[in-house]
Amino acid sequence: MKEEVPERSSSDPSLRPLLRSLLLELAIYAPLVVLYFLLVLRYANDFLTELFNRDTILYAVVATVAIVAQAVLLERLTAWLLRRFGLR
Amino acid sequence: MFFAITGVFISPLVLALIGFVVGVLGGFFGVGGGFLAGPLMFWAGVPINFVVGTDLAHMTGKSIVAARRHRAMGNVDIKLGMLMIIGTIPGIELGAQAIELLDASGQADQVVGYTYVFILTAIGLFTGWESIRALRMQRTDQLEARGALDVPLALPRRGIFTLPPMIQLPTSGVQISLWPVLFIGLVTGFLAGFLGVGGGFLRLPLLVYLVGVPTHVAVGTDLFEIVISAGFGTLSHALKGNVDIMIALTMQTGAAIGAQIGAVGTRYFSGPTIRLMFSILPILAAIMVLLKIGG
Repeated sequence: MKEEVPERSSSDPSLRPLLRSLLLELAIYAPLVVLYFLLVLRYANDFLTELFNRDTILYAVVATVAIVAQAVLLERLTAWLLRRFGLR
Repeated sequence: MFFAITGVFISPLVLALIGFVVGVLGGFFGVGGGFLAGPLMFWAGVPINFVVGTDLAHMTGKSIVAARRHRAMGNVDIKLGMLMIIGTIPGIELGAQAIELLDASGQADQVVGYTYVFILTAIGLFTGWESIRALRMQRTDQLEARGALDVPLALPRRGIFTLPPMIQLPTSGVQISLWPVLFIGLVTGFLAGFLGVGGGFLRLPLLVYLVGVPTHVAVGTDLFEIVISAGFGTLSHALKGNVDIMIALTMQTGAAIGAQIGAVGTRYFSGPTIRLMFSILPILAAIMVLLKIGG
């Protein structure tokens, strides 16, 4: 069995790069998440509501894709932006 | 803000905040957080018939974010996760069938409620007791940490644990029979179908205590399992018209950020400390269920 990860203090120097990376990522990721939501709200809200009332199967597929896309694409975009600006 | 699919006015900030709290817990403990998000969503004004489906939708997105983060840290045992799914899917079906039988006899709410309370209390007490014991042993050097963490004395590896075929799980550093892995999938799947929960609160301790997976890998692998089971559940509930994707996306705005923070937070704590903090969750959930049964 692998060894468990030992307890570490938040001031542990070995964890500083991890914390820095998280903060940088959040600084880019958080606005993207909010932007994605606002774009869906602005351009897809009426379409999704109509789809919900008209075609349940298509709505189920679009709803699942929308939530997965938010999770996967935005993180990839964040990673790409971090690399693009030389922050990772 | 007006959510046209459910036809209700709810503050998006409240939904995002609920998502954030559940996201941090999910990223840190590897649970879906349905036991907490569900009642909070209902309290915020989400109609009850939309609560489960919408919660599953946001759980899927949040778990993808947290699982990817854990995978980057080497905390996801994909082989173990895929093998558990083989047991999980028939388990969910068996649980759903059991609920239908109980529904027919008119006893579903009581039986499900008390089963839930019993299991949650047992998990909370056992995990709390074991993690305190492990922390004490680490501090006093009575046993080497490894001996304290995998509870080999409480659960000796005999019988089903050595029944062929044996499988290697390099990410977890474990060699074990396939059968306990399938059994865990089946049991947690059954409870997911029976109780209408993701089952993370049960899978995490089972992976740690039965399979011997390190806590951090158990958290990541649990999240991987939740992505698949909650994704399947989202599709199923959306087909029944029980998912408001706009509410799910609003919650996901907070949950995605919270999940990243929670996942990285695991790096700051040892396995027993995570398990000790985790032990509070099932007890809280049991209290919430008791209040629901009583009310």
